[in-house]
Amino acid sequence: MSTFDGLLYDGRHAAFRRVVVEVEDARVAIVEDDARAVLAQSDISVDAPVPGVVRRLTLPGGATIETADHAAVEASWPTKGTIARAAFWLESRWSMAVAAVLITASLVWLIVAVVLPLAAEPVARNFSPRFEEAIGAQTLKTIDTRFARPSLLPTERRKAIEEKFAAFVEREPGISGARLEFRRMPFPNAFALPGGTIVLTDKMVTLLDDDDALMAVLAHELGHLQAKHGMRLVLQSSGVAVLVTALAGDAAGMTILAAAMPAALLNARYSREFELEADRYAYGHLARHGSSPQALADVLRRFAEDKRTADVNDPLMRYLNSHPDLEERIRLAEEAR
Amino acid sequence: MADTAPNEQLFRFAFTGRATEYFRIWIISLCLSLATLGVYSAWGKVRKKRYLYAHTALDGTGFDYRASPLAILRGRLLALLLFGGFALCAHFVPLLEIAFIVLLAILSPWIVVAAARFNARNSTYRNIAFAFDGKVGEAARVFVGGLVIVLLTAGFAYPWYRAKRARFIIARHRYGATQFATDLETRPFFQTYLLGGLIVFVAAAVAGFATSGAAAVRGASLAGTAFLVLVYLSYIVAYAYIRARTLNLMANATIIGPMRLRSTLRVRPLAWIYASNIVAILATVGLAIPWATIRVARYRADNLIARAHAPLQTYARGASRFATATGSEVSDLFDVDVSL
Repeated sequence: MSTFDGLLYDGRHAAFRRVVVEVEDARVAIVEDDARAVLAQSDISVDAPVPGVVRRLTLPGGATIETADHAAVEASWPTKGTIARAAFWLESRWSMAVAAVLITASLVWLIVAVVLPLAAEPVARNFSPRFEEAIGAQTLKTIDTRFARPSLLPTERRKAIEEKFAAFVEREPGISGARLEFRRMPFPNAFALPGGTIVLTDKMVTLLDDDDALMAVLAHELGHLQAKHGMRLVLQSSGVAVLVTALAGDAAGMTILAAAMPAALLNARYSREFELEADRYAYGHLARHGSSPQALADVLRRFAEDKRTADVNDPLMRYLNSHPDLEERIRLAEEAR
Repeated sequence: MADTAPNEQLFRFAFTGRATEYFRIWIISLCLSLATLGVYSAWGKVRKKRYLYAHTALDGTGFDYRASPLAILRGRLLALLLFGGFALCAHFVPLLEIAFIVLLAILSPWIVVAAARFNARNSTYRNIAFAFDGKVGEAARVFVGGLVIVLLTAGFAYPWYRAKRARFIIARHRYGATQFATDLETRPFFQTYLLGGLIVFVAAAVAGFATSGAAAVRGASLAGTAFLVLVYLSYIVAYAYIRARTLNLMANATIIGPMRLRSTLRVRPLAWIYASNIVAILATVGLAIPWATIRVARYRADNLIARAHAPLQTYARGASRFATATGSEVSDLFDVDVSL
C-alpha cells in the first residue's frame, strides 16, 4: 500500500481540506479524519509532472488533490505521455541542462552560420526580376526622400562613367539590367540595390577622380548584385529576428531590449561576409576587363586613408556599409593578383 | 504597514520559485524547441508557466496553469500561417504592409478576447478557474476605437487609452462566480506617462548637450557611446517608473468581491532589477534569462498583498460545468492562445 498526504479542493469553493490518500489493489481511499471515500484508481487522472511543481490528481466530478509527493504519485500513476516523461527526466538533471546549453549553442551556430545562408540563397535567386526591381525602386525612393539629393556632377562626367560602365557589364554572366544612379549624399559611397541599381554618390566620384578606381568600386558592387546580397540580407536578418525572438522571448519586460544587440551583431556578420564575397567577385571581373585585383586594393587603400569613408556614425551608412577591416581586404586583394 | 479595518484580513502573495530549478526547465524547453523547429515550444510554454504559476502563492496556495499544449500549438500554427506569411509578403511589397496593419487592426479585438479567455479559463486557484467574459464588440470599441483616438490626438490620448484598456480587461474577468470590478481613474495615468516621457526627454537633451561638448575634445565615437548609454539608462528608468506606477494603480483599483489588492512596487528597485537583468543577460549570452524572470516575479509578489473582509473559502465556482460543456468545447476549437 502506498500512502501520501494531500490537499483536497472540492472545486465548488476556494477551500481545502487536508486528506490522506491510500492506494491499494487499484482502489484509492481518501481519508479525512474518520471519513473515508473509496474510488477506483483508474477513475483518477493525474497531470504531467514538472520538477518543483506539486502534482494534481483529478477526481471524477472535478475535485482535485494536490500533493508534493512526486514519487508516490509516479508509483501509482506512472506518467504515460512520452513527451511529459522525457521532459521531466531531462529537466530533473543538471547533466542534461549542461548538455542542453551546448546543444542549443551548436544549433544556434548551425542556424546562423549554415542553415540561414544556405536557405536564403536559392530563395533570393528565385525572386522574379520585376519583383526585385520593385523593391529596389521602393528603397531608392526612401533613400531619395530621407538621405539623398540630386547629383550635381556635370552631365558629361556622368555620361562618360555610364558609357564605361556599359562596356564593363556587357556580356557578363549573371548580371542583367545593371544601371547607375548618381546622388548627392554626405559621404563618399557606392551601394547596390535589388533589381540592379547601383547608386554612386558625387563625393565618391570626386574622391576617386579616376575611372579605373571607379570601375574597381563598381566591380565590387556588381559582386553584390550578381550574388543577390540585398535580398539575401533581408531574408537572413528576418531569420535572425525570428531566432532571437524565440531565444529571448522569455526575457521579462523591457529586458527583451537586450535582444536587439545580438541581432545587430549577427546581421553585421552577414554583411561582412557579403563584402568579402563581393571583393572576390570583383577580382575576377576586373581581370576579365584588362584590370587586376590590384585596382581594388588601391581603391581600398585610398579609403583607408580617407577619414570620411571610415566614419560609420551615419545610421544609413552603418546599415549599408558594415564592412570588414579595410587592411584585411587590401591584403586579400593583393594576394589575389 | 496596512491599516486594516477590524474585520479585514491580510493575505500575502509570495513567490517561491528558484532560478536553478527554473533554469533547467527553461533550457530544456529552449533546446527542444530549436531542435523541433518550434513544435515543442507549446509544451515548453506550458511547463514554464506551470512552474511560475505554482510558485506564485496567495495565502500559501499556488496558482495552477492548466492549458493543453496542443491548443497552444494549434493557435501558434494559425498565427504563423495568418501573420507569418503576410508579414513576409508585406516586407517586400510596401502596399501590403498597409493591408497587413488593417487586417491586424480588424482582427486585434478578437485576438485580445480569445487570448484573455484562453488564459483566464486555464488559470485556477484552489481548483476554481478564472474566466474572461469580454465581448469582441466591446474589445473593438476599446482597442480599435481607442487607438483611432490616440492617432487623432497625435498620441496625447495614449494614457487615457491605456486606462480604458486596463478597465476593460480587469472588469471582464471573473474568479469563479465572483466578478472583478475596478475603480481605476484616468488622471494618474496621464501624470505617469507625462513624467515617464519627461524623463526620457530630459535625459536625451542632457546627453545630447553633454556629448556635443565632449565630441570636440575626445572624439565622436566615445561621445556617441556615452550618449547611447545615457539615453538607454533613461529609457530603463522611465520604463520602470511607468511600469511600477501603472501596475500599482491597476492592482490597487482591482476589487474581487470582498477583496482588494494592494501593490507597492517602487521605481528604484525595479529600475535596478531591469538594468542589472539586461547586463546579466548580455554578459551570459542569454543564460541569465530564467534568473531575470524569477527576480522580477519575486519582486512583484513581494510587493503585492490582498485585503479581504471575508475568508478566501467564500469564493465559489462559476456556472456549472454541465451548462458550459458545449460552450467550452466550441470555444476550444476557436479559442486559441494567440500570444503575439
